[in-house]
Amino acid sequence: MLDTLLPILIAAALALAVIGAGRRVRLWRQGRPARVSLLKGLAAMPRRYLVDLHHVVARDKAMSNTHVATAGGFVAAAVLMILVHGLGLGAEVAEGALGWLLLAASATMFVGSCFVARRRRHPPSRLSRGPWMRLPKSLMAFSLSVFAITLPTVGLLPEDFGSWMLALALLAVLVWGLGEMFFGMTWGGPMKHAFAGALHLAFHRRAERFSTRTGGSGRSTGLKALDLEDPKAPLGVEKPADFTWNQLLGFDACVQCGRCEAACPAFAAGQPLNPKKLIQDMVVGMAGGSDAAYAGSPYPGKPVGEHQGHAQGPIVAREGKALVDAETLWSCTTCRACVEECPMMIEHVDAIVDMRRFLTLEHGNTPNKGPEVLDNLIATDNPGGFDPGARMHWAADLELPLMADLQQVDVLLWMGDGAYDMRNQRTLRALVKVLRAAGVDFAVLGNEERDSGDVARRLGDEATFQSLAQRNIATLAKYRFLQIVTCDPHSFHVLGNEYGELGGHYRVHHHSTFIAELHEEGRLAFRPWKGGRVTYHDPCYLGRYNGEFEAPRNVLRALGIEVAEMERSGFRSRCCGGGGGAPITDIPGKQRIPDMRMGDVRETGAELVAVGCPQCTAMLEGVVDSAAEVRDIAELVADALVEPPAGHAKGPARTARPLAEEVVS
Amino acid sequence: MAFDAIFQPIQIGNLTIRNRVVSTAHAEVHATDGGMTTDRYVKYYEEKAKGGCGLCICGGSSVVSIDSPQGWWSSVNLATDRIIPHFQNLADAVHKHGGKIMIQITHMGRRSRWDGFDWSTLVSPSGIREPVHRSTCKTIEEEDIWRIIGDFAQAARRAKAGGLDGVELSAVHQHLIDQFWSPRVNKREDQWGGSFENRMRFGMEVLKAVRAEVGDDFVVGMRICGDEFHPDGLSHEDMKQIAAYYDATGQVDFFGVIGSGCDTHDTLANVIPNMAYPPEPFLHLAAGIKEVVKAPVIHAQNIKDPNQAERILEGGYVDLVGMTRAHIADPHLIAKIKMGQVDQIKQCVGANYCIDRQYQGLDVLCIQNAATSREYMGLPHIIEPSEGPTRTVVVVGGGPGGMEAARVAAERGHAVTLFEAADSLGGQITTASKAPQRDQIAGITRWYQLELARLGVDQRLGTRADEATILDLRPDIVVLATGGHPFLEQHPEWGYSENPEESLVVSTWDILNGRVEPGKNVLIYDAICEFSGMSAADYLADKGAKVEIVTDDIKPGAAVGGTTFPTYYRSLYQKEVIMTSDLMLHRVYREGDALVAVLENEYTGTQEERVVDQVVVENGVRPDEALYYALKPRSRNRGQVDLEALYAIQPQPCLSEEGEGPLLFRLGDCSAPRNTHAAIYDALRLCKDF
Repeated sequence: MLDTLLPILIAAALALAVIGAGRRVRLWRQGRPARVSLLKGLAAMPRRYLVDLHHVVARDKAMSNTHVATAGGFVAAAVLMILVHGLGLGAEVAEGALGWLLLAASATMFVGSCFVARRRRHPPSRLSRGPWMRLPKSLMAFSLSVFAITLPTVGLLPEDFGSWMLALALLAVLVWGLGEMFFGMTWGGPMKHAFAGALHLAFHRRAERFSTRTGGSGRSTGLKALDLEDPKAPLGVEKPADFTWNQLLGFDACVQCGRCEAACPAFAAGQPLNPKKLIQDMVVGMAGGSDAAYAGSPYPGKPVGEHQGHAQGPIVAREGKALVDAETLWSCTTCRACVEECPMMIEHVDAIVDMRRFLTLEHGNTPNKGPEVLDNLIATDNPGGFDPGARMHWAADLELPLMADLQQVDVLLWMGDGAYDMRNQRTLRALVKVLRAAGVDFAVLGNEERDSGDVARRLGDEATFQSLAQRNIATLAKYRFLQIVTCDPHSFHVLGNEYGELGGHYRVHHHSTFIAELHEEGRLAFRPWKGGRVTYHDPCYLGRYNGEFEAPRNVLRALGIEVAEMERSGFRSRCCGGGGGAPITDIPGKQRIPDMRMGDVRETGAELVAVGCPQCTAMLEGVVDSAAEVRDIAELVADALVEPPAGHAKGPARTARPLAEEVVS
Repeated sequence: MAFDAIFQPIQIGNLTIRNRVVSTAHAEVHATDGGMTTDRYVKYYEEKAKGGCGLCICGGSSVVSIDSPQGWWSSVNLATDRIIPHFQNLADAVHKHGGKIMIQITHMGRRSRWDGFDWSTLVSPSGIREPVHRSTCKTIEEEDIWRIIGDFAQAARRAKAGGLDGVELSAVHQHLIDQFWSPRVNKREDQWGGSFENRMRFGMEVLKAVRAEVGDDFVVGMRICGDEFHPDGLSHEDMKQIAAYYDATGQVDFFGVIGSGCDTHDTLANVIPNMAYPPEPFLHLAAGIKEVVKAPVIHAQNIKDPNQAERILEGGYVDLVGMTRAHIADPHLIAKIKMGQVDQIKQCVGANYCIDRQYQGLDVLCIQNAATSREYMGLPHIIEPSEGPTRTVVVVGGGPGGMEAARVAAERGHAVTLFEAADSLGGQITTASKAPQRDQIAGITRWYQLELARLGVDQRLGTRADEATILDLRPDIVVLATGGHPFLEQHPEWGYSENPEESLVVSTWDILNGRVEPGKNVLIYDAICEFSGMSAADYLADKGAKVEIVTDDIKPGAAVGGTTFPTYYRSLYQKEVIMTSDLMLHRVYREGDALVAVLENEYTGTQEERVVDQVVVENGVRPDEALYYALKPRSRNRGQVDLEALYAIQPQPCLSEEGEGPLLFRLGDCSAPRNTHAAIYDALRLCKDF
């Protein structure tokens, strides 16, 4: 009986899977076109899965092994099952070895399933429940039933073992297994992640994120530009169908593991954002319906079941509720912790900014101080609305060389809009002192500099961003310099990663990187650190966005500081709350992100937290009853400067310039 | 960006000043050795530049000629090339921190003294005596005039050669230039007097000669008065005409404007307004000058607070604000604004201890900041934390000495407990602040309150510490600053008793603190002639009492400084307080409901009586020593301060010695009655090495 039924069952399951896949593909194709190389992507997919994705998954060793056993066992078992039971190649080929292999594969899968089941007994809150709770049973059903139907094939049991009742029961279990694993995979069950995930890896919108045989993985963190010239191109994303098809595909790859949720600072602060829920809402929107079936942590303060949408309907309603509330989108600090944690390489931040673009450019609906900041940027080229002629006031006594006078220098010091901020002016002055001590040939743009456009872009005002960027690029094009150095990671990121698409290509360095180099070249010497315990806070736009984790630590080490690391540091650093315009849109939560971060600092017992970003400095210094002093790396370096050992100084000899160190600390 | 008006740079001549805050010219009284600037002088200005001050104009009344004596106020002498290398040190020290520095140059004419040093013959346009310095002078001759014009030019050359950024010609405070301007003093009928142009001529020739000497790339400014406030002097309209006249030459790079003339005691008090004045009382005069000139205008007079400065600048009344006493109180004022530490700025309270010392020919010091002008000795404005052991420090007494001791010890990182018997900090400052027009002195306490709270000092207010409570804390160091009490028990004939029912006399503290009701007909006997007696008289008169203040000294308030006794006198005369000198309080007795005070003339022995209902005696402070002598035998150092170390600003040797029992020190009035500065200075130099 089995011999007859099995091939039919398997063929049916495969046919249903194809039907499901057709439906899924149709859903994705609602999205806008995207330029992806299909064949190249498919060819690259195995490596992307086995190397890049595995690299992320392997951060959790136990789950990684569980997945290898279960998924590896399943893929092998599925293929072998089709061969052995579908095509009946069991006994004939290689003296029945296929059957033995199938037994081994299904057994491996079963062992993996047991671990999945154990994981699901007391699942952490970040894991979604719902259909995911039945998945271990489905996995067991599939692996056990395949194992059982294969026992006669290899002769471990007689062909006619048991009664027809037993065979029927076994078949029923197999049907369950096949349904979940084949049909569910494409139609929309938990196993969807395997199908969508594989294609998502193949057709990912940021191919440059992945490693190649010749090199490690590149970072790809710059936002993609809107084509403002094309009248047909939508200004951002209004409805799910406005995403590109491969973005929609990417949403479908989500396994609802909630690693993003666990990493999201806004979620932890009780702001109405959960990256996992957001991705799931996009999945709901793409197929149409309500979020009622969602079985994970909701957006804090927002009950599940009250939102719905469809592919052609607005994501954010002008009034009332649609798929997602605007404040969910404005809660994001664009810190990329979710993207960094996502084992499926989903691009949450891209999606959020896409949707913000529509709200800002089409609705004109940026919350709180957003419109004021954008108006300021339009009117004054700086977010604070300060007199553009006052940009150099902080350096009135420093006699800084101007690019307009020198035309050509080694280093263009990009000041950033911290030039208007009294706190950051101290960092800038310290940096100038360091550059002068090392005899660096540098100049500033002075009043020709404009805001980099970071905040405008993160707030969705792509037009203002591009206007600022183009004018900065035009200014920079007038001068010759080897590199740009800045103490602002946001400027660093925008100049280095986002101006390229608009025609501005520069070598940009964060000041910590540059100072580390100067020190290595022997151009700076420091007196040993005498202060207390120090920790270091990785700015998101330096660390996760640009992969610079080591240089700041090298500088601190050179100062004689042994960094007392926070639990969340390096690529897992917790955001200060200052990115993405979040302090401007200021969506309320239960607590403040910088307070939580200062809590992390407190746990290290540090008296001082070293930072390398004006935003982080402002946010952390804004903490009431702060545990630690906040100092920029440039300030620590400037304080520690002593004459470098003779003969080690490189670079052109310069006359000593007066140094202004007016701030006494 | 907060304080953007303050931090907007400004161009003066070819010079960029980094912000709008100026330390204007004042006599420092520490240029020595014939008027050469000293290390002390350099360090004093370097501290301001380090603290972020935009422009320092140093050397108030620095002289250009040999017949304008510099010795009386140890002012800078620009009459010799010897000054040039000294200027180079000064300029380097200020420029190193991004600041700019200019010097005021002047010939003081008749406004000096002739009875010392070279026994100079002072000069003035018409030889009229100057009352404040009691100085007589000769009528200046044509030859003197041209010699002095040449001296101005040479002095400016020396300033430029020394690397300074500019000079300010003093045509204020009735110096020689404005002696020529003012018809009150200039009665000449030749080309140097009479008509407007003639009176302007001397100043104009000075300006031309200076400009010709230094060229265009050196700042030359002018400090003028906004209104002499004398009916026969220069009015505000006159001064606008003068300012416009000089401005029209295009040769003046800035004008500094001061309200009020100053050749009488009363007008002198206007020039450096003490705490009796409202904020920026003469800003309108400077604004009036700004209306008529193109050059930037600086104004300094009672601008003490960053918000006030910002408001004045934002309003566009003037281009730069002088915050001179504000910088004497806290040379890091600008840095603290930039650090977001506005609450930590030690704000000038207008006690005018600085300027009143200067008028006595003493070095300028701050009543509340003992480090100012002692930078060269190594006294710090910013106390560094100790690298040694953390000690338990108990300070007893929350007056100025105790508050400073607690602050400094806490800045050093020690665990500090401060006991104060009263319910709030301040000690005698609190009493002083109760008098009319004297409330601002409480600003000294306010700063300490903020600092002690910031530093986490354990403040036990309303707690009288005794031997047991102190020793229970197992202190490493005990600092006693318990002050004293009014010394009424000195003469039994005065009838003082500790029982208020029986005592025939009360103290000025009783009056000011409201412990006794003001009488209706009151005699104040003031043997001290400082602030307390005057304040009590003003307080009582303010409450409606008929008051006579009697002293055996040369006049009531004789020991109050030159910029403060006039504000007392204005108030007391207005309230018809009778001021009587040369009488001692011999005896007080009761007659029915009334009190009879028997007064005796110091010079004749003649006795006279006053029948009053209240006798208030101010006889200074008697130290409270009981606690000290109780603790002394238990202390390791037997309460002794090593004076050599103290005066050399060195650590007390006993700090590094081992032994049993706490170290014990006492300072302020509980040792010997002195003043606020003395208590704070002792506390700072003693505790900075804890």
